[in-house]
Amino acid sequence: MLIAAAVLVWLLAPPPLPERWTESETALISSLSLSALPPLPPDSSNSAADDERAAALGHRLFFDPRLSANGAVSCASCHRPELSFTDGLPIAVGTGPGRRHTPGLIGTAYSPWFYWDGRRDSQWAQALTPLETHFEQGAGRTAIVRLLASDPDYKTMYEEIFGSLPDPARLPESASPLGDEPGRRNWRMLDPDLRFKISSTFANAGKSLAAYQRKLLPGRSRFDDYADAAAIPQGDTHHRPGDTLSRDEIAGLDLFIGAAQCVNCHNGPLFTNHDFHNTGILPVLGQLPSVGRFDGVRLARDDPFNCLGEFSDAAPGQCAELRFARFDNELTGAHRTPGLRNVTLTAPYMHTGQMGTLAEVLQHYDEAPTSMLGHNEAKPLGLSSRQLRQLEAFLHSLEAAPAAAAEWLRPPQH
Amino acid sequence: MNCRLPIALTLLLASVLAWAGEQAEFSVVTEAGNRLHISSDLSPLTINRIHSWQLRLTDADGAPVTGALFEVLGGMPEHDHGLPTRPEVTAELEPGVYLLQGVRFHMPGRWLFEFGMTLGEDIDGAAIEIEL
Repeated sequence: MLIAAAVLVWLLAPPPLPERWTESETALISSLSLSALPPLPPDSSNSAADDERAAALGHRLFFDPRLSANGAVSCASCHRPELSFTDGLPIAVGTGPGRRHTPGLIGTAYSPWFYWDGRRDSQWAQALTPLETHFEQGAGRTAIVRLLASDPDYKTMYEEIFGSLPDPARLPESASPLGDEPGRRNWRMLDPDLRFKISSTFANAGKSLAAYQRKLLPGRSRFDDYADAAAIPQGDTHHRPGDTLSRDEIAGLDLFIGAAQCVNCHNGPLFTNHDFHNTGILPVLGQLPSVGRFDGVRLARDDPFNCLGEFSDAAPGQCAELRFARFDNELTGAHRTPGLRNVTLTAPYMHTGQMGTLAEVLQHYDEAPTSMLGHNEAKPLGLSSRQLRQLEAFLHSLEAAPAAAAEWLRPPQH
Repeated sequence: MNCRLPIALTLLLASVLAWAGEQAEFSVVTEAGNRLHISSDLSPLTINRIHSWQLRLTDADGAPVTGALFEVLGGMPEHDHGLPTRPEVTAELEPGVYLLQGVRFHMPGRWLFEFGMTLGEDIDGAAIEIEL
């Protein structure tokens, strides 16, 4: 009886909290606060990045299903505002079955790399890719330009920002260097000057989509209030009246920045280092493991819309991330570290949605299994199930509505 | 609570080690007795921001060492991974002053940088540790 009571007390009693944060822990906690997030840096490759008119045009384009081959798929079909701009699916479905899990968009304007493997080096270059990928939107390059030139609202909005559009009568319905064989043949037959004009117009559509997405910034969470309060020196305990986190959440934070080592990669106010790591994520049953960043860096270098390309507005000296991108075998199997703000609202997880719940994710990192490809950078943690629950509790403290005007979170009102 | 222990200068390397905190300037005597002075244009050093360093290489008498070819390697020994970028010396800005571009850190913790230098027929080396 006594033993049973002791077990019950052990199970139900609140776990002991650390007595106080050390100076270095306080600094680490502060570095995670949204208060430490710098202003959005300019995107030198996109001269329209902070143009309100481009954001308004991008907003319309983002929600417009006419930007797809079947007229039914918009960017917002997968990046749904009500799901923190994810889709709730393991693998995206566009005009056909996709290849990867849809990542969220909030705060991604801070990232130097896009896609799970970093195959694009700007938000605008990323935005262009689904438009021409046959299983995502697959509209093709001239179809996008024809839409901009033939829709009176788009034409007016576009030309105010970027100047004249090509005459849609001169454009074949389907022509793209990345399309099907008839589309590629049409593309090759176009005059090189017209091809350039089409591609730069297409690039401007991406730059407008990026200008819109730069509006999608993270909002303050309970954690941020706690972190800012924790930075004020006082008392001999960090669990003070008025704290915005529960005991379990604080214990989870302690693990997050300590024994669980999450902060190694999920660092900074967006809880991501924007980099690529192999953490032994197993492929979906029946699929080969993804080589991840090993391919991604090559694809980014080859992308005609990258920072060094002819459609970029940047000087080569402003393309440091691309110029000095690492390229070696250590990147095999590495995928981008996702941010964790609102992670509790964006199941499932990982690059192909392999894990349905955060509990599974935490269990994975606790075990750190051998990677099928390359080597797992993470080491087994040996945490208890209670500690894993505390970590999950802490992640809930990062939930917050985006710090974006309501109009940006819904389709434009015509 | 975890206390971060001071970093012990125990890493055995062929070159001479220098320890730097979040400071943005540090100096080290190289294997061959030259001095490598490093100053970062990001100060204090912090994670997740790509930036450049200036490397000033002088001989024991303080005269600039010109025409050096640099190879820069590094990483986090405790995490068994290299640098997140591939920094390169892209210019000799003035005699003995070299521009290293593409430096970025992506984790807090102990970082190791190793500099290999080719000076005509000779080679030289140096290493620094940085705790972020």
